[in-house]
Amino acid sequence: MAAGFKTAEPLEYHRSFLKENCRPDGRELGEFRPTTLNISSVSTADGSALVKIGNTTVICGIKAELTTPPSDAPNRGYIVPNVDLPPLCSSKFRPGPPGEQAQAASQFIADVIESSDLINMEELCIEKSKLCWVLYCDIMCLDYDGNLLDACIIVLLAALKNAQLPEVTINKETDLAEADIQKKQPLKINRLPVGSSFAVFDDSIIIVDPTAEEESLSTALLTVVTDEEDRLCAVHKPGGTSLSGEKLQHCINRAITRNKEISKLVDKVTESTKTAK
Amino acid sequence: MSSEIWSPCILRDQERCLLVMMGELSEDLRILSTCKLLQHDSQLLEAVFRTHRLSYETRGSRSKSLHDRAVINCQYSMATFSTAERKRRPHGDRKSSEMSLHLKQTFEAAVLTELYPRSQIDIYVKILQADGGNYSACVNAATLALVDAGIPMRDYVCACTAGFVEDTPLADLCHAEESGGGTSLALALLPRSGNIALLQMDARLHQDHLDALIEAAMTACKGVSKVLDGVVRQHLEEVSVLTRD
Repeated sequence: MAAGFKTAEPLEYHRSFLKENCRPDGRELGEFRPTTLNISSVSTADGSALVKIGNTTVICGIKAELTTPPSDAPNRGYIVPNVDLPPLCSSKFRPGPPGEQAQAASQFIADVIESSDLINMEELCIEKSKLCWVLYCDIMCLDYDGNLLDACIIVLLAALKNAQLPEVTINKETDLAEADIQKKQPLKINRLPVGSSFAVFDDSIIIVDPTAEEESLSTALLTVVTDEEDRLCAVHKPGGTSLSGEKLQHCINRAITRNKEISKLVDKVTESTKTAK
Repeated sequence: MSSEIWSPCILRDQERCLLVMMGELSEDLRILSTCKLLQHDSQLLEAVFRTHRLSYETRGSRSKSLHDRAVINCQYSMATFSTAERKRRPHGDRKSSEMSLHLKQTFEAAVLTELYPRSQIDIYVKILQADGGNYSACVNAATLALVDAGIPMRDYVCACTAGFVEDTPLADLCHAEESGGGTSLALALLPRSGNIALLQMDARLHQDHLDALIEAAMTACKGVSKVLDGVVRQHLEEVSVLTRD
């Protein structure tokens, strides 16, 4: 009977739970789904990670290539993030060129990398105007159940922490780059940006970490990205119903707590692989 | 691999370690089943499967529907980080289109499409890490995904590669062995009847050696089918225990 009610009147179904301050899957309004993280899953990539927030599963693979730096920034390397939402993750997505949501997510990740100063781009440069690293970060969603942006940020962070780049020297005589595969260096990560997504129901109730159903029924979505020093890196609220300043502040506080939880998780996982080696 | 995420059932077969997990992903009702298959801890693959009625919205697809059976649509693609060199065009290139077509033809032989007229069955396969035997891993994963979805099939479809490396027939070649210049043969088998669904070999081979090679591939496929059967039964036990509660 509940399943029938849910299909016929999904909004009423959710409202009846929200009245009791909880959600259909049993969570509190401010509770995130259990998050699991796995790194070094793909050995062909230079760095990789897989994250699961509830059912949302996202994998990231980092491939590093050598190239010449762009002419307007000759002493910096660059990062190219790309978010892929293939049809296998949800029936919402059709095969073919990347849709709007995938492109918007890719741009959002690029902006977060830029604004949070995640990696010092100068370190990616090997020789000014001649050679630098370009990191292709391919983020792929394997199962879409809401809250894509948070998962993408976490998986990118974990994959970058896990990435190992070989040392490259330029042979003075031949002017060619030589990569020493035996000697690998991890990347230096300056900041730990972590995102928290919220959905607004009926202009007043804010829930944290919406599932795909909740996202489709919500009236507004909001994502806040903070770094480990409690500074804001990005606030993304694409349209929807308006939100008061104090509600926004409340969301930012929740995002700060979430940052600490995720930082601990990422540290724990990186430590465990180091000890395993 | 952390057991929190994969919770696999590890079954060793004689060639390579096969890790299979069924039904792990998705609550979306329209995605009926998924299956992750890991062959020899270096090739991850995922097949997601769904069936839907061909609708007016899909461009031009009304004309593709058949009045007496289902249309099977396969899409094969590789993740850009799946190979040693970053893959520039993950789908749409010739190799991917050829693979998609082979998968479609393989499953048309096995699925009882007459039971679903005017419908389309979509099979999406994505390779997360490639280490040889891409086609066989795809077929094995898609078989399990179809079983998980409850689509009736004539038999499991098991696939394996075999090849000659210095005059010894080897089953289940890895990437280094495949690209080493010896012959390699991919075989998709319906194990109970011993019928071959698809056989592909693109290399020079003496006629006398062909039998030995097919024999090696068939034995490997039968081994794989035992593993797949074991996984299906175990998964059903787990699921029936959960639904009973």
